Amino acid sequence: MYKLFKDVNRNITTSVIRLSDNACIPFDPANTDYQAYLKWVAEGNTPTPADEGTQ
Amino acid sequence: MAYGTINADLMTTSDGVSSSGLYGFKNRIINGAMVIDQRNAGASVSGTTGVYTLDRWTVQNNSGSARFNVQQNVNSVTPPAGYKYYLGITSTSAYSVAATDILGIQQFIEGYNTADFAWGTASATAITLSFWVRSSLTGTFGGSVVEGAAGSALYPFTYTISAANTWEQKTVTIAGPTIGTWNSTNGRSIQLLFSMGTGSSFTGTAGSWTTSSYYAPTGATSVVGTNGATFYITGVQLEKGSTATSFDYRPYSAELSLCERYCRKMGDGLFGKAASSTTLVVQSPFNLQPMRATPTITSTDSSVKISDITSADFTSSAGVTGGTMTQYGGRITISSFTGLSSGGMYIVYDNTDGSIVLFSAEL
Repeated sequence: MYKLFKDVNRNITTSVIRLSDNACIPFDPANTDYQAYLKWVAEGNTPTPADEGTQ
Repeated sequence: MAYGTINADLMTTSDGVSSSGLYGFKNRIINGAMVIDQRNAGASVSGTTGVYTLDRWTVQNNSGSARFNVQQNVNSVTPPAGYKYYLGITSTSAYSVAATDILGIQQFIEGYNTADFAWGTASATAITLSFWVRSSLTGTFGGSVVEGAAGSALYPFTYTISAANTWEQKTVTIAGPTIGTWNSTNGRSIQLLFSMGTGSSFTGTAGSWTTSSYYAPTGATSVVGTNGATFYITGVQLEKGSTATSFDYRPYSAELSLCERYCRKMGDGLFGKAASSTTLVVQSPFNLQPMRATPTITSTDSSVKISDITSADFTSSAGVTGGTMTQYGGRITISSFTGLSSGGMYIVYDNTDGSIVLFSAEL
């Protein structure tokens, strides 16, 4: 399970939180955790939206 | 006085000793002497798939549950002469591997560090793998050298442990593969796997390259098949050429620096600015070298302490909750403070072991 993470300064979504260990995963194709996230999405899953204004 | 001679891949000293790759980055394995353990600091790790144990060494396990534990210097046996550390595996049950199981300990090598092997071409060079191993079991054991991105080329190998609970040094020379598509930049190139138990669907004949998914040789000993069985390994070296040479003993700082391209911890001394009364945004520069890729951020301390330097300390009840990074650095967010002055400057300090966050850009 994943939850999107919004950058507090720019107010844009820059990464995704892996809820099993709260790791923050960047949107970098070379990051193997991001590759696993993309596979999870490709299987039909959808991440939880980011919190607004608190991160 | 006679001087030694050097050509592209071979050095011959004046007294006639020849060896390949004596200098430079001879050993392409990082942390082969099992010295660095940033994540666990010597604590035991349950062997679930993908978990990182000692630096650069990760668990392969698609069996659904952990079947062994991994720990630096577990049981405190005396390492081989010249070494202080080893990676220790202990089987936690008597597990019969299923046909499609692959269990083991492995390291992925970055393409930049093997590009000179010219693998996948007619000019592919041989490599030699050497290591010290000790097990409570004896017999034929196995592993594989695999094209790590897609498994397009695999080489299962065997070695024999003759005496139980005795350190033995092993050497395996592997011809360079002309098959496979091998990464030569910042992706996975070689996957070196030491099998702890592999099912029949993924085992095959040892000693030759194949495109079949053979991650271990047929008939190798299953460490996970015996409850309490131990498997210890250190001095792992993978070098260019057909000769095993002495272990590439590198300075601790150099080995740690190599590890930090893939994993590093940060904490005390970082500096940040409060975005609100509850949230601090902290600069996190990777000053000495960039990481392999943009790293994943994981909190290592749920009660991060900061100070405004002049009068007050504050403690987060959540720790690092995210951030925005590149491979060169960036900023992390620490949440759940109370009473920060929005716009105020704070320094991270006096936290347990000095670390508050772990960055991971593993392969």
